[in-house]
Amino acid sequence: MTAVLRALGLVLGLVGATGVARADERTDGLQQAQLDRLRAEVAGEVQLVAYDLVDELVYGWIQDPVFSEPTSVVLAGVTVPVGLGTGLQALLENHITGLLTQNPSTQVQLVHCPSCTAVVIHSGPEGTVLSRGIDNPEVLGAFGESTGKHALYIDIEAEGAWLVLRARITRLTPDRPIVWSHTLATSASAPALLRQSTDLKSAEDAREEYLKALRGRGSLTVPLRFAVRTYARPEDDQGIGAPPFLWLQSGVELSATDARAWTSSLLVGYSVVPQAYQGLMAQARLQRLVTGRARSLTHPDLYAFVGAAVMTVWGPATAPFRERVLTADQLLVDTAQDDPRETFGAFQLGLDLRLGNRVGMSAFLETIPSLRDSPNIGVTTYLLGLPFQVLGAEVTFCF
Amino acid sequence: MLSVFLSAGLWRLVFPAAPAPGVLWSRDRSRAMDCVRVGAEEGNRSYPGQIAPTPPRGRMGTTDTVVCTERMLRRDLRSPQDEAVLTDLQATVSALASAARSQRPDLVGRTWLVEAHDPSTQVSAKLRFATQNALADNGLAVSDRTPVLAVGDVDVLTRLPPDQAYAVACERYGANGSVADDQVLMAIIRRDPRETSLHGGLCVDGQWTWLR
Repeated sequence: MTAVLRALGLVLGLVGATGVARADERTDGLQQAQLDRLRAEVAGEVQLVAYDLVDELVYGWIQDPVFSEPTSVVLAGVTVPVGLGTGLQALLENHITGLLTQNPSTQVQLVHCPSCTAVVIHSGPEGTVLSRGIDNPEVLGAFGESTGKHALYIDIEAEGAWLVLRARITRLTPDRPIVWSHTLATSASAPALLRQSTDLKSAEDAREEYLKALRGRGSLTVPLRFAVRTYARPEDDQGIGAPPFLWLQSGVELSATDARAWTSSLLVGYSVVPQAYQGLMAQARLQRLVTGRARSLTHPDLYAFVGAAVMTVWGPATAPFRERVLTADQLLVDTAQDDPRETFGAFQLGLDLRLGNRVGMSAFLETIPSLRDSPNIGVTTYLLGLPFQVLGAEVTFCF
Repeated sequence: MLSVFLSAGLWRLVFPAAPAPGVLWSRDRSRAMDCVRVGAEEGNRSYPGQIAPTPPRGRMGTTDTVVCTERMLRRDLRSPQDEAVLTDLQATVSALASAARSQRPDLVGRTWLVEAHDPSTQVSAKLRFATQNALADNGLAVSDRTPVLAVGDVDVLTRLPPDQAYAVACERYGANGSVADDQVLMAIIRRDPRETSLHGGLCVDGQWTWLR
């Protein structure tokens, strides 16, 4: 009986051990998959910074070529930070090749040399040497490859907060002298400059170009604005009420800084509907960016604004801007005499949604203090204790 | 109770200043930063406008500034030993190259060969590359040639204790002509897989000397 129990225990133990082993294998597999995913993610983050270093290297060769005339160079090796895979290596090799092909002024002509990268075995009086062809130039000569070529080695390594690129060019002669070497580094916190491969620039020029893009066309823009103002109906719904006014406005908009967090504008406008009304206006506004500290190049920006305007309107449809009740007699007098003309001031507050430096859409409320007690115009809403009689909307194009 | 908590600075135990880990700052986030302590003057030079210099009449108490930058690679992508060696790679090889030049000014006219020994092949290649560039930056003539040993030599060397092996290898390099009379071999070595510091040695005319 004891023997049977012991055998059963052994079998259960074996089954259990197999289960644990399988679970361990599964865990290892999952951890490996997670690590691979993490490696790919990090490689994606490092790639642009590494490209930036390669761009800087090639830009240096354009400014100060290593060779005085076009010279054959074998791309002998590109190594990436320890811990990252060969995918990044392939991307970097392609980028380097593309840059050198598109910038012949570097005087570096990449050449294909199959026997340079192949593993070769050379037996001689000194012994048998196993190496890559590129590490044994005497053997390359035996293979018929012309000696005197150069080999380019590039290594990129992550050292703390820095990504460091090291490059060296070796002459493929038996003594293999290093004819040129260079080390470049960039910080993890420095954004990639994303230079165009056909038009490499120095870091200073690239930064200047970036700032120009941020500034748009300078701190001064000329907006062209189409606005519509709708006036509230009288509270008792008696009377005619003022018609909506369409305005075409233009002027200047000024930013205090490149961030465009604060902007101000001064615009003049004209409005006309034949047989109904005409108007002229001048308007000043102060705008504050409320979505962030600087205008975004890629996302819409929202501004809050306050402003003041002076308007003068005339024509048969402008009678409701009078402060007295409209009567039939008054309308008959207006018809017989000159059209009514009214001039008044207004204060605004609203929100302006800007897309890049090109298009804006805004909505605002406007209060006209002189028409506060007018029986012809009602109140849209009360805000901060003030009656706002006008609801307006605008579309702005900036030039 | 609250006043004691605040006045005694006990709240710093719960909300320590970044980058120390606390309630609002996780350990992983702290470990992802590369931090160095800088003085006020150095900080003002490196980060003008962000770190204020010491006023002419001095400052009450001691002010510490810790400058933290995010690491290029996340933790756990490579072994801690490799990470430690690679983090200070440029500083280490520059120091070794400067030490070699200053300790042996008589070797400036020779051609320098470099080899690196590390448990990781990838790290070895990195060490060699960085050292070659550092020597070239010091104005020395550097060759990319790798000295070779016969199979029999390697067989013997692998059975010797490390301190003896480097000296014997150097002697063999000199004897077989791999390191000629007008050449110097500089070796960068991590002597133990567990250590995180690098050692340097010179092989000149068949004689081995440690740089550090």
